[in-house]
Amino acid sequence: MLNFISSEIFKLRHKLRSWLGPLLIMILVLIAFPLSIDISQYDLNKFFFSVIVVALLMISFLATESIFSEDYEDGSLEQLHLEEKDFYKVVLAKIITYVFLIGFPMALIGSVFSIANGISLQDAPKIFIILAASTLILFNVFAFGSALSINKGSMLGVLASLPLALPVIVLLGRAVRTVQYGSGFFEVLALMVGIGLIVTAIMPMIISATLKTHLE
Amino acid sequence: MFTSFIHRFSAPKSFVEVTAIFFPYVMTIGFLVLSVGWIWGLAFAPEDAIQGNSYRIIFLHVPASIYAQLIYFFMSICALMHLVWRVKLAAYLIKAAAPVGVIITFIALFSGSIWGIPTWGTWWQWDARITSTLILFIMYLGIITLHSSFSNAEKADRLMSILVVVGVVNIPIIKKSVDWWSTLHQPASITVSEGASIDPSMLYPLAISALGMGLTLIALGIMTSRLYILTREKNKKWVQSYV
Repeated sequence: MLNFISSEIFKLRHKLRSWLGPLLIMILVLIAFPLSIDISQYDLNKFFFSVIVVALLMISFLATESIFSEDYEDGSLEQLHLEEKDFYKVVLAKIITYVFLIGFPMALIGSVFSIANGISLQDAPKIFIILAASTLILFNVFAFGSALSINKGSMLGVLASLPLALPVIVLLGRAVRTVQYGSGFFEVLALMVGIGLIVTAIMPMIISATLKTHLE
Repeated sequence: MFTSFIHRFSAPKSFVEVTAIFFPYVMTIGFLVLSVGWIWGLAFAPEDAIQGNSYRIIFLHVPASIYAQLIYFFMSICALMHLVWRVKLAAYLIKAAAPVGVIITFIALFSGSIWGIPTWGTWWQWDARITSTLILFIMYLGIITLHSSFSNAEKADRLMSILVVVGVVNIPIIKKSVDWWSTLHQPASITVSEGASIDPSMLYPLAISALGMGLTLIALGIMTSRLYILTREKNKKWVQSYV
């Protein structure tokens, strides 16, 4: 398992576009938002989280768009499928690597920008944690979408997996409100982390079954 | 005996032959029961004390909403059968049921919007139940699009089944959305634990409408699945001799 993760880290490090691209887009979206609304701090505080949430949703999809497609096209995915008995471990390693190298930095960017938009310094770590838990779920869901539409373009992947991600957004919205109002944060966080862990345990198996269908 | 019946019936040929016998009866009874339910509900059920006559859309909206979820649930059972036992017919049934699901979910959303204008003062609200039903509508469309994107039909069947099984997670969310979130949409009027909070004079036509719509949808499902099977297996000898 660790071998897979280290090999994925190595591969991702050399694909600058795959990890730096989503992070830069996240920063650009969060910078562009205040320009598009108003300079009034009241309005910014009110709407900023909606932008973080939607940016997280869309950029998570963007980040996982080619999670399997490049390996599929160059044949390495097929080779791993033939070599590795527990193919889901390969999938799990890929998702974990993407979450750590792209998802968590995205969560960090979101929490840093939230400080500039009315969240106190003490609450910023809470924002980071809930955004990080969300990326864990979203990356799994979108990796599934990407696996379904591996050679058919990203539009199909969005259509197939976005409806599954929308309940996560509802939960994320509720978590953000608990931070803003200062109550019930740990209950919602426990729920999100629980869902995140369940999804991370199950989704790689479903994704590996999906990829096997493409490879067979 | 049951297993052999299932094995026999799960062959597309047997399904087409057996359903040819049932189809006219199911269709006729479905139409009749639905007509009775709607005529009773629209013409003879009493006026609601608060909502007046506008509540009568319940006889379309509630059955449509129930079947929007039930059809997906049925599809998920078929998807499991296809993935676990590789039952070819199960995949055909999913493909045939998905358009029916789209139509009935659209009817549920549309009739809900019409009902919303006199009761809530708005035709649309970003309410948990309404939004989750809209997500279900998009899921149906996603399933149809996914299947049509692949030229290899067997691969498309399998991928579609996987998506259907994963998507079933939305069904309890839709069902329980009115309990989990504070929503504009009212909670269920009929529950297993507390019985029905609706007056029998409205409940009976509603139950009959639901039964009639169920039978009509089964007939519609039989029709679409028969058409799909015949198209899909057009090169098989049995289809050529059957048609």
